[in-house]
Amino acid sequence: MNVRVKLGVTAFAVALMSGTALAASNDDFWAKAAEPYKGVVLHGVTESTPPSNYIKDVLAPEFEKKTGIKVEIETTSWDQMYDKAIKDMEAGTGIYDVVYIEQDIIYSYLARNFLTDITKALKDKPELKASTYDDAKFTSFANYFKQGGDLYGVPMEAFLKVYCYRKDLFNDPEIQAAFKKQTGHDLKPATTHEEYTEIADFFTQWGKDHNMQLWGSTAQAHTGHAASWYEYFESVAPTFGVYNWGIDASKNYAATVEHGGGMNSDKAKAALKWWLHLRDIAPPESAQSTWSEVATTFAAGRAAQGLVYGENAAWIATDASKSKVTGQVGFALPVLSPGVLDDAKSGKGYVGYYDGGAFGLPVSSKNQEAALLFLEFIGQDEVQPGWAVAAPRITNTATFDAPEVKAMDAKLGGFYTMLKDEGKLFAGAPPYPFHAQVREATAPIFYDILTGKVGPDEGLDKMAAKAEEELTSLGYRK
Amino acid sequence: MKSNTFGWILLAPTIVVLFFFGVLPFLYVVYVSFHQWNPFAANPNMIYNAAGNFRQIVFDSAFLASLGVTVAFVFFAVLTEVVVGYVLAQAFMSDFPGKAFFRTIHTLPLIIAPIIVGSIWKLMTTPSIGIIPHLLQSSVGFDLNIGQSAAAAFIITITMDIWHWTPLVTLTLIAALVSLPPDPFEQAQIDGAGKWQIFWHITLPMIAPAVMATVFIRLMDALRIVDEVLMLTGGGPGSATRYIGVHIFREVFPRTNYGYGSAISVVVLYLTIVVCWLLYTGMLAPRKPRKG
Amino acid sequence: MKKKAPWPYVLFWILISFLTLFPIYWLFVISVTPSFELFSTPSVILRHVDWQNYTEVIGNPTLRGYMMNSLLISSGNAILTTTFGFFACYALSRFNLSGKESIFFWTITNRMAPPAVFLLPLFLLLTKVYRIEGFTLLDTRIGMILVYCTFNLPFAIWTLRPTVDGIPKELDEAAFVDGASPWKVITEVVFPLCRPGLAVTLILTWVFAWNEYLLAATLTNFNARTLTTGLSEYVTTTGTAWGIMAAISIFTLIPALIVFSVVQRHIVAGLTFGAVKG
Repeated sequence: MNVRVKLGVTAFAVALMSGTALAASNDDFWAKAAEPYKGVVLHGVTESTPPSNYIKDVLAPEFEKKTGIKVEIETTSWDQMYDKAIKDMEAGTGIYDVVYIEQDIIYSYLARNFLTDITKALKDKPELKASTYDDAKFTSFANYFKQGGDLYGVPMEAFLKVYCYRKDLFNDPEIQAAFKKQTGHDLKPATTHEEYTEIADFFTQWGKDHNMQLWGSTAQAHTGHAASWYEYFESVAPTFGVYNWGIDASKNYAATVEHGGGMNSDKAKAALKWWLHLRDIAPPESAQSTWSEVATTFAAGRAAQGLVYGENAAWIATDASKSKVTGQVGFALPVLSPGVLDDAKSGKGYVGYYDGGAFGLPVSSKNQEAALLFLEFIGQDEVQPGWAVAAPRITNTATFDAPEVKAMDAKLGGFYTMLKDEGKLFAGAPPYPFHAQVREATAPIFYDILTGKVGPDEGLDKMAAKAEEELTSLGYRK
Repeated sequence: MKSNTFGWILLAPTIVVLFFFGVLPFLYVVYVSFHQWNPFAANPNMIYNAAGNFRQIVFDSAFLASLGVTVAFVFFAVLTEVVVGYVLAQAFMSDFPGKAFFRTIHTLPLIIAPIIVGSIWKLMTTPSIGIIPHLLQSSVGFDLNIGQSAAAAFIITITMDIWHWTPLVTLTLIAALVSLPPDPFEQAQIDGAGKWQIFWHITLPMIAPAVMATVFIRLMDALRIVDEVLMLTGGGPGSATRYIGVHIFREVFPRTNYGYGSAISVVVLYLTIVVCWLLYTGMLAPRKPRKG
Repeated sequence: MKKKAPWPYVLFWILISFLTLFPIYWLFVISVTPSFELFSTPSVILRHVDWQNYTEVIGNPTLRGYMMNSLLISSGNAILTTTFGFFACYALSRFNLSGKESIFFWTITNRMAPPAVFLLPLFLLLTKVYRIEGFTLLDTRIGMILVYCTFNLPFAIWTLRPTVDGIPKELDEAAFVDGASPWKVITEVVFPLCRPGLAVTLILTWVFAWNEYLLAATLTNFNARTLTTGLSEYVTTTGTAWGIMAAISIFTLIPALIVFSVVQRHIVAGLTFGAVKG
């Protein structure tokens, strides 16, 4: 709410400023197109994050003013959001007209035909098509919500999981001198795994020697929460060249090396051991850290560098009421093994996780037309800049050039520039309709690796076998 | 003198409500438990599987491990709660200044929602930033790490449960103790009975039904614990605190394994009923008819 | 019971209260400390207090709505289950109903069910089966009051049974001899004698309904959302807003304490025996 109220206020101001000019010409369209649906109440469900709250507090009321269609948005926690949307679509109850689709669940929804084809629906009903809505304007992130070239979700948030480092520490002459003396080279953001480890080791030792609450790296290494599983499979393994969780869809969904997969490959094992070492020299709370604790650890100034989810990067860098390190955060690409960058450029691989979500329209909704209008409304260029400033996220290429976004980018230390230029090097979750199922099946073994109950090599062997077993029982692996 | 019809009328609302909101959903769960059903499997439909799920459960090491830690958790937590709760209830039987005040304070943990209880204990016990590991480290040099040590996490979940639910035991036992007639106690004192004799021979038999009811309630609530543990440890480290409620939650929520999850639930429910029935018939029934 | 010097009791209770209160004190500390300051070496003593979370909680109309839903659902459910439970216990205790001990045991089995798996059937029943035209029980307060009966009604029956059994039968019989109707016997003879047990049952059923999360999270959407589901809005991928969650929790202690203090006055010894002797 802290965030929400504040965002709401700024957002209103921005929306008022930027909206007025274009709005006049458009108002006619919205009023006319919405005429038959006046009085309809749309219901949506989403996770209670700043971008969603912006929709709820700013865009939905604005839409209602223009169309007479009321939009009620239910914001809830991450796991509840999934469960409620799935139950509704599975049972076909039609409670929701708009659902939040996290990038990693889209393939499951598409496989079940839960979602309305937005492109086709607009083609079939040209009277609903707004001239200000153009799905070609979305960033490459929209590709994750397409099937056969048609769009099934209007992207509403997108972030990169980036390498964050503390500029104040990296630029401190005393630290630089000590680092040079100890290692023989200059202290600068790492580009390889070896450099990263060296810096991490150095800062953990530095913290110990100077009696500071400072460690060399974050680690999202919760021993009972999927966050640790995600950090390894989405952010660490790919930088060693293990993509798509090491599961090869073209080889009958093989996970083990034996069957042509890579989940227990030498690269995967090296990646895990590299990360486990970082976990050992990370702040002690890491064993209980999900994404949010990692962000807070970094914001509290307890880590010199780390991988932080993009949705948190902005407030860590700028919001002094939540962060001790404002103005001191530098962003860089994750550290990579040789060849991974080329893989990413050629589309064979990727350097890290591109997460986010879209709003989609369930087939079970009884207000298809009104919901389509709302989705178009939140996809327009003109609503984006205010949204990007209030709740840092960008899904539309036009947004990057807006002056207020450029000003914000400068304040964020080039975070948006990175999203614009390097976004294509990152990737979302692999296109699997069995995302949560395989994760849940293998996660307990992963937690056992983290607690040391099984060794990393043996653990990955077990996980790969377990993944294949689960895929077989789900009927994907024949 | 009284017709049984009136008795059935009094029972009717209970039976009706429990039938529509308890029995019917249960029948659905039983139905699903005989099917293979995961809406995100290659075949998303319900497929009749006879007793396949149940056969699988017998050899499911994750389920059996979960059942094992659950039994240990329930045993230690409920035993402590009942003993401590009884002592506290007895301590409320005397008159002393500020009694109502202390009783109110003692009930405070009950009104805190489980997800908040889990959050408080998580923040109190997180290594390096939690107050409890900090105090243990600085006073006795003990390193408590609930992210790494299975034993530490197990003990903390039990401690949390005791903190949260002992007041419930105290309150129900207070209600039982205040309803006891004073005559037997006065008689026993006149006869010169000692404290323990009074407890064993008079108090305990008289409040046994209430104690049993409380043990039952705590037993089945502890067996169903989900929210607090999900917040505190997520079931970790590893599967150390993946109690059966958490296990089922993971099975049916994120993994959407509706068929198998239903089968596990049916088995757990069956085991609970059997254990409770044995306790119930062994210790209380047949109810002794009241003298009169 | 026998009289003793009160002071050892007071000392004992001060010690117990300290243990009880410490986590609640910590909840308060969390509510007045920015989260990045929580992530540092902890200290038992509060260094400074930041009331911002509280001003936000008080100024939030949505939370007031959740609070109202929580109050209505918990109170409605507590009264309903305690009343039904009391009736049921009286029937089980005083009538010779066939199979009554089995019925008594059956009621409690409704509380044993692991909740997660019952969400889907309840969702389907509430949306598809229990409906009149367009009206369904999903996302309604009355729906939640009824659903909460599955775990609270068995509880009420089981905690009340010893109390009702403990009321001497001679009392009702004497009243019947005097020509009282069965209804009058229940409300005017038995009910007053059960007050301590009824008060405790009312409090505890209220607490269970007040704290319930999983069912409310699945079965409410917009109109009947309760505080516990509101709290879960602050557990997100962008961070868990510990401070606001804590502030809401501290805040919700107030209505709960009012309910407690009103009901707790009825937990007094001696009612029963006065009646027997008199």
